[in-house]
Amino acid sequence: MTVRALLRPAQYLALAAYILFLGFPLLWLISASVKSSGELNSLSVNLLPEQWHWDNYADALDRQGLIHSAGNSLVVALVSTALVIVIALPASYVLARLKGKVRAAGVGWILTSQVFPVVLVILPLFLILRTLGLADSLAGLTLVHTTYTLPFALWMLQGYVTAIPVDLEEAGAMDGAGRWTVLRRIVFPLLMPGIVATAMFSFVSSWNEFFFALVLLQSPENYTLPITLNMFIGGEGKVALGPLAAGAVLAAIPSIVFFTLLRRRLTSGLMAGAVKG
Amino acid sequence: MKSRRVVAAALAAATSLVLAACSGSGDDGPVTLKFQSLSDQPAAIAATNKIVDDWNTTHPDVQVEVVQAGWDGVYDKLITQLNAGSGPDIIHYEAAGVVPFARDGYLADLSSYLPDAKKADVPRGVLDSVTVDGELIAYPTELQSYVVFANKALLDKAGVAVPSGPTMTWDQLRDIAKATTRDGVYGLGWGLSSPTAAMVALAPGFGGKYFDGTGTDANVSIGQGEMALPRLVDGMAHQDNSILPVTLTQSGAKALAPFYAGQTAMTIQGSFQAANIAKDAPDGFDWIVLPPLAGPAGPAQAANPQTLSVNKDSDHVEEAAQFVDFFTSTENLAALNEADTLIPATTSARDALSAKLGGQNGWPQILASGEHLTSAPYLFVDKYAQWKDTVATPAYQKFLGGEIDANGLSNELTEGWKSINR
Amino acid sequence: MTLAAHTRAPAPAPAPRKRKGSQGRARRREAITLVMPSLIPILVLSVAPLVMGLALAFTDARLVRHPDYGFTGIDNFTRLAENGFFWDSLRIGLIWTVGVTVLQLAAAMGLALLLNSGLRLQGLTRVLALIPWAMPPVVVAIMWQMIYSANGGPLNAFLGSIGLPGDIDWLGDFTTALPAVIVVGVWVGMPQTTVTLLAGLQQIPQDLHEAASVDGAGAWRRFTAVTWPSLRPIIASITSLNFIWNFNSFSLVYVLTEGGPGGKTMVPVLFIYLEAFKNRNIGYAAAMGLVLVIIIVALLAIYLRSQFRDDNAGRGR
Repeated sequence: MTVRALLRPAQYLALAAYILFLGFPLLWLISASVKSSGELNSLSVNLLPEQWHWDNYADALDRQGLIHSAGNSLVVALVSTALVIVIALPASYVLARLKGKVRAAGVGWILTSQVFPVVLVILPLFLILRTLGLADSLAGLTLVHTTYTLPFALWMLQGYVTAIPVDLEEAGAMDGAGRWTVLRRIVFPLLMPGIVATAMFSFVSSWNEFFFALVLLQSPENYTLPITLNMFIGGEGKVALGPLAAGAVLAAIPSIVFFTLLRRRLTSGLMAGAVKG
Repeated sequence: MKSRRVVAAALAAATSLVLAACSGSGDDGPVTLKFQSLSDQPAAIAATNKIVDDWNTTHPDVQVEVVQAGWDGVYDKLITQLNAGSGPDIIHYEAAGVVPFARDGYLADLSSYLPDAKKADVPRGVLDSVTVDGELIAYPTELQSYVVFANKALLDKAGVAVPSGPTMTWDQLRDIAKATTRDGVYGLGWGLSSPTAAMVALAPGFGGKYFDGTGTDANVSIGQGEMALPRLVDGMAHQDNSILPVTLTQSGAKALAPFYAGQTAMTIQGSFQAANIAKDAPDGFDWIVLPPLAGPAGPAQAANPQTLSVNKDSDHVEEAAQFVDFFTSTENLAALNEADTLIPATTSARDALSAKLGGQNGWPQILASGEHLTSAPYLFVDKYAQWKDTVATPAYQKFLGGEIDANGLSNELTEGWKSINR
Repeated sequence: MTLAAHTRAPAPAPAPRKRKGSQGRARRREAITLVMPSLIPILVLSVAPLVMGLALAFTDARLVRHPDYGFTGIDNFTRLAENGFFWDSLRIGLIWTVGVTVLQLAAAMGLALLLNSGLRLQGLTRVLALIPWAMPPVVVAIMWQMIYSANGGPLNAFLGSIGLPGDIDWLGDFTTALPAVIVVGVWVGMPQTTVTLLAGLQQIPQDLHEAASVDGAGAWRRFTAVTWPSLRPIIASITSLNFIWNFNSFSLVYVLTEGGPGGKTMVPVLFIYLEAFKNRNIGYAAAMGLVLVIIIVALLAIYLRSQFRDDNAGRGR
């Protein structure tokens, strides 16, 4: 009895600790974004600024086309996410259910392509893209993001598919449903939380991706958000801390909105319903 | 494996054929040059754009397009794009970064495109830092040096006379630091989290060269000249206790906070921080710049100027070189350096700026320190970057942290070089 | 037919395949059609550069304007065997990777379980769990540098205010640097691991939990008997992914510490970057990459095989 009584408060305590760990850095970033450079370069440590300095936001928006590059990032992230899900969904099913050489080759490629350091493939990749006329273009970057997110997406989704017991599908098949119907009516709904998780992950990978964007994009009008934010760091390690913090806060808003919209989808609740009947 | 090489070569050949076809067809219109510029703050960007606009107005047949890029990451960008044959026509970078590209063969020799007077306008030492195998592979534009900023009020309180000669010695610095270390104040704050750059840059004042030979034949040489400064810093930090300990592990910029708060009487910084200090210091903060530091071998410091180079594979090398000539005119360089708070690389621009800003706090000493910048061997050593990141920086950090002594430091630097080159 | 009777497939894995033996070829054709769209961009943009990159490991290629390189066989590998710096960085890399991966799993598992327990503030916490995802690496590094600042940061200010030492140089002290960077690594990895585990938890049918508690199982027993086995494949996949990501995430480490202090955070990927991009020895660097791939894939293969073997053993129950 006592253990159970302690459980709830203990859980809330743990939750509070997590909230602090996850949220405090963002809070500090917001605090930095409204401080003047004098205060940021002083020894004072205050959550609330001594003087609210909103100029940092104006400065961030003025510099380097922050909004435009955010738009670029958004397009690339959305399109590559859509492509990744569309391609990875059927492919991960195959990967999870089929044993043998196909699976081995798939797994082998997935692991190798992710472990092999990117600096060693960037040059051949650049040459290939340039031959296809896709260097320095958002289309090229989208394709690259799709291709390099696919392994993770495949790997994650096949994990979720594996967690769905095979006999659910067999039960459906025995009830007379064709393979496609089984996939559509039984597997995909159960997979929904996994699909949402994979989509979120794919969006974020693309949104935050820096190295490919840095090297493959040349014209400033094609720059994505991480590139633009990076330009707040000058030579000799000079960092315009206030405007950078402001820019980072602005850049975080679309992601946070996206997450808030999707958080309900992480709930299944469908599983119980689908099976009981 | 040979077939792969054939494929790669075929791919590259096909690509260059396509590129050649494309560029060949559009020659009757105005020439467009891509100028990759790294200015990171609004005033400098505005100054750069103004110069480019002036050029574009007076040269309708050679138009220059500014492509903004960030300092952080430009190296990776350049090495990939140059190796793939897609680099910009005019490259803005710094000597330490650009010399390796010259050794790779990517940069055009500017000596034939620039008038002799132009080359004479740059002090010998600085010109040497951008000359590789007799070729002038970049034109220097802006320089910074390490200078000592001091809190005049704290110096007065300690009864220290402010040095006023053309230079001051490191021993004088040590004495002032000792005298001002009292009542909870430290004499000096020095941000040495990246110690190698400072040690190598200031070594010429002690006769230290760090390297003999160039390219792949270079050898590290750690002798008295090279160990003098580390020993001095160690003495000040651990014997005199006149260096605020936390600053030794912080970046230069972070060491400004204790300076503003009056916890340190002096701080060694890049000269460009003068603008930031003017802006961020508390009201009434009385800061001055001390005369340039001189070791036993003089006040020399290693120069690492910002540079403009021309891509050898550009279709319009001559026009690009002409733009570089225009960009680095006395008037333009003076404006640019004023916006960036840096020291112009040409003597004429430095004189012009001196005339204009000579009355402002700190500028005379800063501009004067520009006279003592010279080339240093590390620029031309092939494996310097790897040695710096994997051997030197850890070794210096351990030394300053008291984990190894001077002999240990000297050993690690030398042995580390040997392992890298095995 | 309720699920309670079918916690795992009643028959061992081979049986279904035997039943559908004759439909094997049709199944394979279906499989290929499902997989085909992925193959083309993968082959062109991923496999081709990878093969070209790997091939360089057997040459003495350099990144210069007129490369003049030739096949050198295994020279690069013999040289690598004697390269003490590389193997040192590999050791540091593995310590970092295992440390971060294990801690990520523990922390995210705790959070995922909490978020699945019907507590209040769930919505807020779910969004907060994703905050690290909203920041590009450069912002994460700058932000944590501010927090860890020895004389101007909130962490030390807080510690000082409650009587603990408030002047620890987190990123500059040799003993605290690696742990401090590991904490940031865990912070960065919380979203993907939490989201993945939460989705996995949501996939477990409520009936299983109900059946278990009807049988008299307490919270811990339910965790070990119901939750953990169902989560096994998901844990395996996210842990191996995290392992790879953490192993490759040198940008975070580099910006925070530049491989210092004293080289204590010099990870292999940084080392390869220096060799390839700074020294221009792309052939030698490719050899390092190949060795890394072999080692990491071998480690992962061992880990995953042990997971799947246990899985199959579990199936037979």
